[in-house]
Amino acid sequence: MSSSAKALEVWNRRVHYYLGLYFLFFLWLFAATGLMLNHQQWFRDLYQRVERSYQLPIATPAGDTVRAQTRDLMDQLNLKGEIDWPASQPVWHIDFNVSRPNGAAQVRVDLNAKQAYVREFENGRLHAFQIFHTFSGSRFNQPASQRDWIVTSLWVWAMDALAAGLIVMVLGSYYMWWQLKKKHALGFAMLAAGVVGCGVFVAGLL
Amino acid sequence: MVYRWLRDLHLYFGLFISPFVLLFAASVFYLNHGKLTQGTPPPADIYRNLQLPDGFDRVKGREAAERAKTILPQVGVSGEIGFLRYIASDRHLIFPVSKAGLESTIDVDLDARSAMVTRRHMGVWESLSYLHKIPGPHNPAIRGNWVGTRMWRWFADATIYLLLFISTSGVYLWWALKAERAAGLLLLFAGAATFSGLVYVIVR
Repeated sequence: MSSSAKALEVWNRRVHYYLGLYFLFFLWLFAATGLMLNHQQWFRDLYQRVERSYQLPIATPAGDTVRAQTRDLMDQLNLKGEIDWPASQPVWHIDFNVSRPNGAAQVRVDLNAKQAYVREFENGRLHAFQIFHTFSGSRFNQPASQRDWIVTSLWVWAMDALAAGLIVMVLGSYYMWWQLKKKHALGFAMLAAGVVGCGVFVAGLL
Repeated sequence: MVYRWLRDLHLYFGLFISPFVLLFAASVFYLNHGKLTQGTPPPADIYRNLQLPDGFDRVKGREAAERAKTILPQVGVSGEIGFLRYIASDRHLIFPVSKAGLESTIDVDLDARSAMVTRRHMGVWESLSYLHKIPGPHNPAIRGNWVGTRMWRWFADATIYLLLFISTSGVYLWWALKAERAAGLLLLFAGAATFSGLVYVIVR
């Protein structure tokens, strides 16, 4: 084996476990929450959500756009999270929802009356834990949705990094396996079983 | 002995779940950044003289899904029923049926015994994302009404359990390599710090 091939082998192995160690807690979170999302019936009784409604006076929101005005209102109401607006707004109203894993709020602001009507939800820890799996601030089947909280963008960046890391780890593991000639036969059988098992679903046969 | 067994299981289980891991990982990019462009609505196919079960005005949940399933072979559709919507005013039953690659919407006129079916083909990325999200948390009362979804849930669960095994055994295998402990510990703590820091910022 040439020295460059040897160096590739050593670094490929290092990258495999360095990435694995760095992303360990992210991987465990997404694995555990994936299980929770697919088996809601196991966890339903453990979810807690506390709801409270209140009304607060507000100052006329500053800003030229609905987004800027919403941000100003959130500051006044001490709310943080991803913003989601309804498809249409009543006249002289700014209505919006704010969400993050540990809670959400439905806010209806009457600009004439200078009153905000807030329905706030606080999620229990297990519920919040699960929401981290899907907390991206964007839905591919809702083209208008977009991220507007920098913290969500950071979390999405972490999700992307984990996904990229997993792809690198898997591709690197193929190379490591291929170097082990004695493991080719059984390894190939396992890989083929996985490819066929996954492929029938991707192809829409099942 | 334990080390060798764990190393082999780590390798073989890893190879088995690797296509699933690639699917779940690759679809993350579409779920986080992709946008589905709505094209022109697909043309509808009309089916008449259907043999329809009754009781959609009374039954709900799993029982309604079981009855709706008897309509599917008559209109040439297979897949998971997403939800059921019964409209009492004109006695229509509307429900989407999905599998990777295809989403059909079936609008049944219960009195006329006819159905209008629209079929929308998914692209590769949307199909991968569909598989990423199924069975998911929505409508658990009827989820898994198609054999394909039940089997996919089994594979998705197996991927999770094996991933947990592989990650744990991977930590053991790394710890056995004394020369790599320092750098590995540094990365493990860096990952833990990034993870806990992000979680803290989001929930604070």
